Amino acid sequence: MTSDPVVPAVSPGEVGDLPTARSIRRFTAAAGKARAGASLTSLLGDVYYAVISAAIGAAVAFGVAQQVRTSLPPAPQVAPPTSLSLPALVAVVLLAAAGVLVSLAGRLGPVGAGGAESAWWLQLPVERRGLLRPAARRLPVVGAVAGAAVVALLDAGLLGDVGGRTLRAAGAGAVVAALLVLLATVVQSSGVPRRRVALVGDVVLGLSAALAVALALAGTHLAALPVAPWPVLVVGLLVVAGLAWLVDGRLDSMPARSLREGGSVATQAMGAVVSLDSRELGRALTAGSSRPVRRWVSRFHGVRGPATALVAADLAQLRRSPRHLVQLVVAALVPWLATVVPQLANVPGVLVAVLVAGGIASSAAAEGARAGEMNPILDRMLPLGAKTVRRLRMAVPGVAMLAWSLAAFGALGRWAGDVGPWLLLAALGTPVWAAATVRAAYRPGPNWSKPLVSTPFGALPTGVTTVVSRGPDLVVLCLLPTWIALILRHVTPTFLVLQLAGAAIAFAIGSSIATGTLMDRMFEASGGRPGGAPGGTAAAGGR
Amino acid sequence: MPQPVVRAQDLLVGYGGAPVCAPVTFTLQPGRALALVGSNGSGKSTVLRAVIGLLEPAGGKLTVLGAAVDERTVEFRSAVSSVLDDDAYFPSLSVAEHLYLVARGHGVLDAWDRVDELLDEFGLVDHAAALPVSLSSGQRRRLLLAAGFARPRSLLVLDEPEQRLDRRMLSALTDRLVAEKAAGGAVLMASHDPELVRAVADRALHLDDQRNEMLSAADAAARIARIPA
Repeated sequence: MTSDPVVPAVSPGEVGDLPTARSIRRFTAAAGKARAGASLTSLLGDVYYAVISAAIGAAVAFGVAQQVRTSLPPAPQVAPPTSLSLPALVAVVLLAAAGVLVSLAGRLGPVGAGGAESAWWLQLPVERRGLLRPAARRLPVVGAVAGAAVVALLDAGLLGDVGGRTLRAAGAGAVVAALLVLLATVVQSSGVPRRRVALVGDVVLGLSAALAVALALAGTHLAALPVAPWPVLVVGLLVVAGLAWLVDGRLDSMPARSLREGGSVATQAMGAVVSLDSRELGRALTAGSSRPVRRWVSRFHGVRGPATALVAADLAQLRRSPRHLVQLVVAALVPWLATVVPQLANVPGVLVAVLVAGGIASSAAAEGARAGEMNPILDRMLPLGAKTVRRLRMAVPGVAMLAWSLAAFGALGRWAGDVGPWLLLAALGTPVWAAATVRAAYRPGPNWSKPLVSTPFGALPTGVTTVVSRGPDLVVLCLLPTWIALILRHVTPTFLVLQLAGAAIAFAIGSSIATGTLMDRMFEASGGRPGGAPGGTAAAGGR
Repeated sequence: MPQPVVRAQDLLVGYGGAPVCAPVTFTLQPGRALALVGSNGSGKSTVLRAVIGLLEPAGGKLTVLGAAVDERTVEFRSAVSSVLDDDAYFPSLSVAEHLYLVARGHGVLDAWDRVDELLDEFGLVDHAAALPVSLSSGQRRRLLLAAGFARPRSLLVLDEPEQRLDRRMLSALTDRLVAEKAAGGAVLMASHDPELVRAVADRALHLDDQRNEMLSAADAAARIARIPA
């Protein structure tokens, strides 16, 4: 614009001084509060409930952490040549968590303005800094709280007793997390694209896995993990304050397009978190950070018909998502890591590692099925029956999970002393993972209208838990022979036969296009009123 | 000759470095209206997004009121009013409060009086206290359009303003845009409505991925009318 003041050609009325950004924010908030109808009593009640819930959650988490801590066997006097000490593992996990945090900060953008703020605030000629200040503080604060919680739980659960040390560790976690988020914000506000920052986070995550392998192979022994002294934390806090000040100074120069993108991702991600929809969360975090245009167009040479077209499309989606490929590699290393940490190389430790890593790998391999669930038209574009589509959607997860299973169960075999049978068991269990992946991807949305069940952890919405458990239920039940073999640390031919049967059952369930629960379907069959998820037993995309 | 409100010279717009249409060249003077026409995906909305600073041009030159587009400046936001297809609202603000926010945010002194006038003009009086979520999509569209007129401006950018409007409202909007020109305002709009283009635009730029063509409003209207529904 020219430096001379611009007199608008058309005006609806006389124009005076511009209001401050704060007054705009206050007007918006006041109108919202006036309509919320919340009394002081109900507000206090909400605060009380939130504080009590947080306190119970923290107490339960620290109780579990302490339980884990006391049940861990002591470190061996002489560590095996290929091993990783517990403090070294925690260091690697913290590095991985830092990678995840940077990746998230990149995907969420420097600062976001939600849909309404973008549409109604960003066009106003008031200083943008005043409008965006609360949004700019939100991400570092959330990052700090998450960082403190993760570090405190790791410290209390694996390294030391709850006390001053844990408090200091939590403080350090909060400072480092806020620092990383603010650094990502500063870098992005300097013009670096979001996807590049996200890629740095993904690379750090991948490097943490490589570092863990290197440390274990080298037999590096880290006896204890140092915790930053208070003066260092104070210095860190000052750096955080400095970066926050720098970000604040740049808020006015952030372009609307970046604010709109960031706000859109944050709104979608927040909605997904609140509604416990991990698929939507994945979509929110993937969409904005990928290249809008591909450098080359796949020719799909192997496509011979609708079935191969569907599989080729799924494969292309997985291949073009570096985040999911990194996720698969990291997940493949986790069970091996559990077997080389002497304190974790026991049945519970390895079992938890396999379950967690399997869940991560399975989620990474589900991109095609998730896309099909989000856009049912994709499943109907090809001349294939709905059940056939489900079966074909298992192909890519099947290949990915076979690779993961061979790596994970190979490590288990090495730990148990006989690799061959474990690899066979892994191959037989692969269809279960693939079926669970597809079943989870096609689960219906959470049904919040079902009754709550009171538990020691608070009210549990049954309509949500039944939906969220779709997929994991197959892993638990249809891989039972594998779990029993793992508990016994021995694979027998009977387990192999039973696992084959489990795979067949999982394949049949994974191919099903019914969306209701078994109970709902029984109700419906008996002529009763289905009380299941929206849509009852309707066949999504059925023919 | 007054300074053009918008000047685009070989402007290239697109996503990820891939242009969506041929380079765009046009000037828009105060008190004039230019319509962007063309089939779906021809780049109309993309050009508009570049003009209001929501998209970095991939090439060429683009100025608004004599300076490169920078929507971060107060001057730009004071001068350029845009109505895109955003369908987002503050969930707790009523229709009237949304309009007041825009008017007062731009320093309009008797903002509530102006809001009342706009509510009347856009047929929203009965919904003044309603939350946008309770409105029909057509009523929400009227709210967005009313917001575009609730503030001072030198350039009005509209993306398919005819969307979801009934004939009566569309006729009133046409009159409003003609009056906008008469008052010295410039109008840049994308449209698929031949009547709106014929009545409001002085010229029309037909966008295509091979070659763009400047047409008279009448020719553009006739070309739009020939496109099968």
